[in-house]
Amino acid sequence: MNEKDNGFDAMMDIWQQSQDAFMKAQADVAEQFKTALSGQTPSQSAPNMDPLAAWQSFIKSWSPAWDMSAMAQPQNPFTQDFRQGPDAFFSTLDPQKWTQYAPEQLRVMLDSIARGPQFADLMMPQQKAAEAWRESLDYQQAASDMSRVMQEAWTAAYKTYSEKYTLDDLKSGNVNEALDEWLKAANAALLEAQGSDIFLNAQKRMIRASTEIRARQRDMAEDWSEVWQIPTRTEVDDLTLIVHQLRRELREVKRELARLKGENS
Amino acid sequence: MPGDYTRNQESFPETDAAMEAWAEAMKQIMDTGSKALRSGGVLSQVTSEDVQIAESAYETVYEIDKVRLFHYHPTTKQKSTLPPVVICYGLFGRQSMIDLQEDRSLVRNMLAAGIDVYVVDWGNPTRADQFLNFDDYVDLYLGSCLENVVERNDGKPACLFGICEGGTFAAMLAALRPELLSGMALAITPIDFHGDHENFWLGEGFLNSWIGNLEKGDIDLLIETYGMLPGAMTGTIFSSLTPINSMTKYNLGLAKMDGNRDALLNFLRMEKWIADRPDHPGELARQWLNDLYRENRLVEGKFKIAGEDVDLSNISCPVLNIYALQDHIIPVSCSTALGKFVPEKQYEEIGFPGGHVGVFVSSKAQGVVAGGLIEWLERTQDTAAQPKKSRGKSS
Repeated sequence: MNEKDNGFDAMMDIWQQSQDAFMKAQADVAEQFKTALSGQTPSQSAPNMDPLAAWQSFIKSWSPAWDMSAMAQPQNPFTQDFRQGPDAFFSTLDPQKWTQYAPEQLRVMLDSIARGPQFADLMMPQQKAAEAWRESLDYQQAASDMSRVMQEAWTAAYKTYSEKYTLDDLKSGNVNEALDEWLKAANAALLEAQGSDIFLNAQKRMIRASTEIRARQRDMAEDWSEVWQIPTRTEVDDLTLIVHQLRRELREVKRELARLKGENS
Repeated sequence: MPGDYTRNQESFPETDAAMEAWAEAMKQIMDTGSKALRSGGVLSQVTSEDVQIAESAYETVYEIDKVRLFHYHPTTKQKSTLPPVVICYGLFGRQSMIDLQEDRSLVRNMLAAGIDVYVVDWGNPTRADQFLNFDDYVDLYLGSCLENVVERNDGKPACLFGICEGGTFAAMLAALRPELLSGMALAITPIDFHGDHENFWLGEGFLNSWIGNLEKGDIDLLIETYGMLPGAMTGTIFSSLTPINSMTKYNLGLAKMDGNRDALLNFLRMEKWIADRPDHPGELARQWLNDLYRENRLVEGKFKIAGEDVDLSNISCPVLNIYALQDHIIPVSCSTALGKFVPEKQYEEIGFPGGHVGVFVSSKAQGVVAGGLIEWLERTQDTAAQPKKSRGKSS
């Protein structure tokens, strides 16, 4: 039983310890300066506090079921990647690797950041980042939904096939026929799925989510272009539109001129 | 031998049957493997120079922006009295489809009949062309090409043959500028973009339901984000319409060809055509998807080009409408809807027993489609067409 079972006490404790640590850090720096300037060997005094223990105690006081070792469990692919060397470590920086463990909580957080108030004289890069992140979560969800729809179609195909084509049929050894029957069943099931409402809606969400990500990438690329004074896609598109409109007007004028000339001749 | 497996002088029928099945399975597996190896062997000897498409000779007789008008060289001294035929493909693929190879070429079949053949090439639209729309493609580009041919034909109208999206362009132009056309043939062309959707067969009309399920804002965002409708994207969508065929064409499909060089080269020519899928101008795609596929404005008489309503009942020339009975891209009912707008005595149909692309590249199509088209031209167009007053030039 944790003796610090009152959350507020624990919070006060950790706050107090943090203050102590801060003050001690100032003293340690002064000591190091003093040592460096005098040429003496630095003292190896042990810390008189354990911040990790205090932090764990604080967390457990609020969430008694918290198990710090859970993150290190072998079945957690996040930590597996971590153990597999530097490349795997960097791969864990990819949000796709770990956002799947708490997407809804993360989505709520990102929503609150993205919908935060705007301030006239403060840059708000975190809002764009939160939007981008939320869109990537939407895409993951849409891709996952679409994958589930197609997986169900394959399962239906297998069910149909196993009902129509039994082990007795396979006893002939006619594997070509077995394969043809399987492809027929799979084709029918996939086509059936691709016409269903559940597929249509998953497809719509997928197209929407992937396009939003692409639009965000463009937006971010334009921010970068602005910084380096490179013409942005929007500016080039604006110019293209102006040229297009001018060319169309010129053609209309030429057509009208030709018509007037024809009338006068 | 299977029957020789005995114990204590007794035979075991079940074991015998299993051994026979095993032997049969192994034989079939080895047979398929051998076929795949033979195909692989031929493929390893094929270079890109061996895979040529659209080799009929032509010259460019007219250009406007990126659009070019090709005039094909005659292949026979016999010159028909038919009006020239202008072939107009869509922008989701290339017009090279109609001249894929020597023995599967609509162009060559028509040239062999002494017909004067022109083909519109839309070029390679880039993001600089993203604001081009139906006004440009129908009224300006196709209209100008047709005017050019009419001028070259001593002011007499020409026959327009539109294919797929190009067929929709052709029908629109025929409604807006009937004086330019002596006749119009369409192939695999959508007119009613909703079609008889309640009676689609399994796999028919996916494009209609997929696009119809999107909201206007989804399509607007897509076009605003990409500028164009990328060819790679449309290619992926077309592949997903026939999922099992797309998954098996490079394995089982190749094995089935059993090293047959001609069959493999036919396959590779088709692959070359598929791979060369241009990006579709964004505004044109936006209208195609939102105004036509989603809102079906053409058959409802609510589609405008250059400020004019497109009224399909203005089509006054003889019309031949060719559709494919197993077309998974353009449902039959989407094509045959044109019959409601054209007087019965002017309207004919050919229902080809095949798929969307098969109308042009299958060996059967050379007789049914090309033969049917030429026969229709000779029957309905072989009169001394009189010059008609033109509305004026588009450019």
